[in-house]
Amino acid sequence: MAGGDEYVIQAEAAGRRFGDSWAVREVDLRVGPGEIVGFVGPDGAGKTTLLQMLAAILDPSAGRCRVLGFDTVRQASKITARIGYMPQGFTLYERLTVVENLAFAARVRAVPASQFPERRRRLLEMAGLLPFLDRAEGALSGGMRKKLALCTNLVHEPPLLLLDEPGLGVDPLSRRELWRMLEDFRRSGATIVFATSYMDEAERCDRLAFLDRGRIVAQGTPGELCARAEGAIFRLQPAMPAGVEDALTDAPEVLGVQWRPTEVRVAVDPRAGLSQSLRRRLERLGPVEASPPSMEDVFVVLRQADDVEAPTLVSEPAGSSRLAPRHRPAVGIETRSLTRRFGGFLAVDDVSLRVNAGEIFALLGANGAGKTTLIRLLCGLLPASSGSARVADVEVGPGAGRLRRRIGYMSQRFSLYPDLTVGENLDFFASAYELPRREARDAIAWAVATTGLAGTERRIVARLSGAQRQRLALACSLLHRPAVLFLDEPTSGVDPLARFRFWRLVGRLSASGTTVVVTTHYLEEAAYCHRLGLMHEGRLIAAGDLPSLRAALPGRPPATVEELFLAYIERARTGVGAAAGGQR
Amino acid sequence: MKPARIAAVVAKETKEIARDPVTVAVALLMPLVMLFLFGYAISLDVENVAMGVLDQDRSPASRRLVDRFVGSGYFRLAADYATTHEVEDGLQRSAVELVLVVPPGFQRTIAQGGTAPVQVLVDGTYSATANLVAAYAQAIVSDFAGDSAPRVRVETRVWYNPSLRSVTYVVPGLFGVILMAFPPLLTALAIAREKETGSIQQIFASPLTPAEFLAGKLVPYGLIAFAQIAMVIAVGFLWFGVPLRGNLLLLAAAGLVYVFCTVGIGLLVSTITSSQLVAMLLALIVTLMPSFLFSGFLFPIFTMPYLLQLYTRVFPTRYFVDLSRGIVLKGAALPELWPSVALLLAYTVVVFALAAWRFRKKVA
Repeated sequence: MAGGDEYVIQAEAAGRRFGDSWAVREVDLRVGPGEIVGFVGPDGAGKTTLLQMLAAILDPSAGRCRVLGFDTVRQASKITARIGYMPQGFTLYERLTVVENLAFAARVRAVPASQFPERRRRLLEMAGLLPFLDRAEGALSGGMRKKLALCTNLVHEPPLLLLDEPGLGVDPLSRRELWRMLEDFRRSGATIVFATSYMDEAERCDRLAFLDRGRIVAQGTPGELCARAEGAIFRLQPAMPAGVEDALTDAPEVLGVQWRPTEVRVAVDPRAGLSQSLRRRLERLGPVEASPPSMEDVFVVLRQADDVEAPTLVSEPAGSSRLAPRHRPAVGIETRSLTRRFGGFLAVDDVSLRVNAGEIFALLGANGAGKTTLIRLLCGLLPASSGSARVADVEVGPGAGRLRRRIGYMSQRFSLYPDLTVGENLDFFASAYELPRREARDAIAWAVATTGLAGTERRIVARLSGAQRQRLALACSLLHRPAVLFLDEPTSGVDPLARFRFWRLVGRLSASGTTVVVTTHYLEEAAYCHRLGLMHEGRLIAAGDLPSLRAALPGRPPATVEELFLAYIERARTGVGAAAGGQR
Repeated sequence: MKPARIAAVVAKETKEIARDPVTVAVALLMPLVMLFLFGYAISLDVENVAMGVLDQDRSPASRRLVDRFVGSGYFRLAADYATTHEVEDGLQRSAVELVLVVPPGFQRTIAQGGTAPVQVLVDGTYSATANLVAAYAQAIVSDFAGDSAPRVRVETRVWYNPSLRSVTYVVPGLFGVILMAFPPLLTALAIAREKETGSIQQIFASPLTPAEFLAGKLVPYGLIAFAQIAMVIAVGFLWFGVPLRGNLLLLAAAGLVYVFCTVGIGLLVSTITSSQLVAMLLALIVTLMPSFLFSGFLFPIFTMPYLLQLYTRVFPTRYFVDLSRGIVLKGAALPELWPSVALLLAYTVVVFALAAWRFRKKVA
């Protein structure tokens, strides 16, 4: 480090403005050598902007940053020559092979030719990429691409590694391997700073900085941050979930509610605590107990503690009968040996499954396991190679116009028109579903209120936050009151609070009779679903509710969904037992 | 500038291009398509013009006059009209481009040694050919009249393009336009694509300097552009039969300097734009359009207003069109041409420096 600085990163009142708005402001941050620091915070909190400023690829509009003892503006080239920086998304060259991508990084970073073969072997072995040396980067799974990107940033053994959402869109198995590599690298004494929306990743940090609207609103060890939510989290197991909503009205101390199938977690303002009147109202529904805060609870409390506006819980529009689907099918989905081939590759392999009407069914699986292809088959967007499927009482096949009117589909990338306003997008989708004008007007008003988008109708979609776009995409897929709703990674990259709201809405749709099929990488979200289907290499290796999936495994039942998921994949890989959960 | 790092970028870029055969094929085919289209389509020659006749004399003399037209090889008899109504209708429908009206009493007047009026109606909607058609018609009629009373004859010699074939003069100009149109397009997309996929961020956060990165991009695209030159020149000479009076090596060398200049313009465009679509449109606007209008390729510079003439000096195509025509048609050599070559070199250096200066390693 130059100048004998004792900190690897030192930011003083650093800020960055885009036009009139400050993406990051008044950030003071010190990171010592060997520390691992995480940035958490809602969408648009400024995590990426701050990382880019630290990587010296974005100049601060105010204040200054020193990284590795160099000024990020005047000595930017000294910083970029030394650090590793892994941006969000996939940023390697997809036409180059695994080896070529790594070799390019090494040559640019002047890794001595004598050391490169050894480092290449070690890194690619750790990443599990040795069998794919000559595969084009674009043909790898998402998890592998991220691991390779990490390799290209480790090849010069940087003293500081900056990572922007390294686990985003990566399946749990790959995410585990990614972290194993980081832990290993960390032992060399390097400093790691990363942004994340995974709370389990946040818990791995020495120190966390919680960002909200461009400011660091809290800093400390995960334990210290948890302490700030101490006494603010209560869990109850109500017999009647509907009663909870009534009990929570007129309770200003409530900051957030997480709905889980087995419990409801209520976060209150830690300064106010749980008021006697609210406690009494809740106790009428079931026993109320204080719960040790998880990182997600901390997120809710910290986010809200700083929130000037009232928390915008999804509003309750009058006439909730609108939530009910137009057509009530006898069976949500039923498939028989559904198969889809792409050339010699089986994307979906002999999948037979049944989803009851009104059920929330989650498809879990690694990148490339076939979840998206299966959904596209069920929506009739892709013809099956063999097998059959019935969705909402309609046989999926050529010319199934009736099917289109009974299903809603929200794709991974939210197929909205970014240059139109919220209202214009809704109008377009209403006309695409051929809703009569009056009905369309009512449906739009209802969808806007239900998804909490009221007041945003005139805003351009491109300027909405990720969470708002997610809810708009949902609103668009709900206009025609579909019987079966397909949600493909609806919560990817959305902050925990927005995810809670989203799931609560999905829960209410299901309660009103809508069948929901959802894919997700956030395994803890499986808890919001009635039943799970685990997919691996195109096959449905298990399906059932959480307790029965747990019970079907021999030995000690796994504690978390992630462990459960990994145990089933392990089982599928070793070929012990074909399926569980009684579905196949 | 570290050569090792430039080499790394060159190697990476070359592999990427090589694995995109469609782009390479388009890059190599498009210039040929353009050369063929324009080589054949842009013809200022008058040939096979559809002509109508309203012969009100119906005499041997009037038939001889019509035969002169058809026999000249420039006109073909497309319609024989009986009334002036039909003539109007024919021109209106563009059935004919020229109508020869021979009034009654034509033969008698000639026989009496008088001056017989003949009317030639020309469709003037496309003025460039209309002028030529009118001039040719005039010449044929004068020739016809002159037979009876020979007078002074003017002998005109056209230098450099004695047959006045327009291909001979269009194709060397096309070299300049084509090499301005395609190489920058490809290059502009190359950096904009990295911006779109986000891979540019990895470049920003690396030791590569802007000049190293751009130089690494310049080399492979410069080579593709050189392949384009070779193809276009070969087709120009072998297929279109353009005569080469000067030195082929000199032409190739000037072409090499010129493409590095045009590729540099592509790089400059892509440093400014953030998406491939904008890069493509901007590249077309700054390269293709001015190279058509202001290079002297089709529209002679000396007939332009003075201010526009100054403006043409901003575009390198003008110098290369001069070079190309000079070498191909006049057989000119370096002693006459060095100022243009020097200007192109200077232009290349300036464009590259500007691109390197504009290329900031910052995301915003």
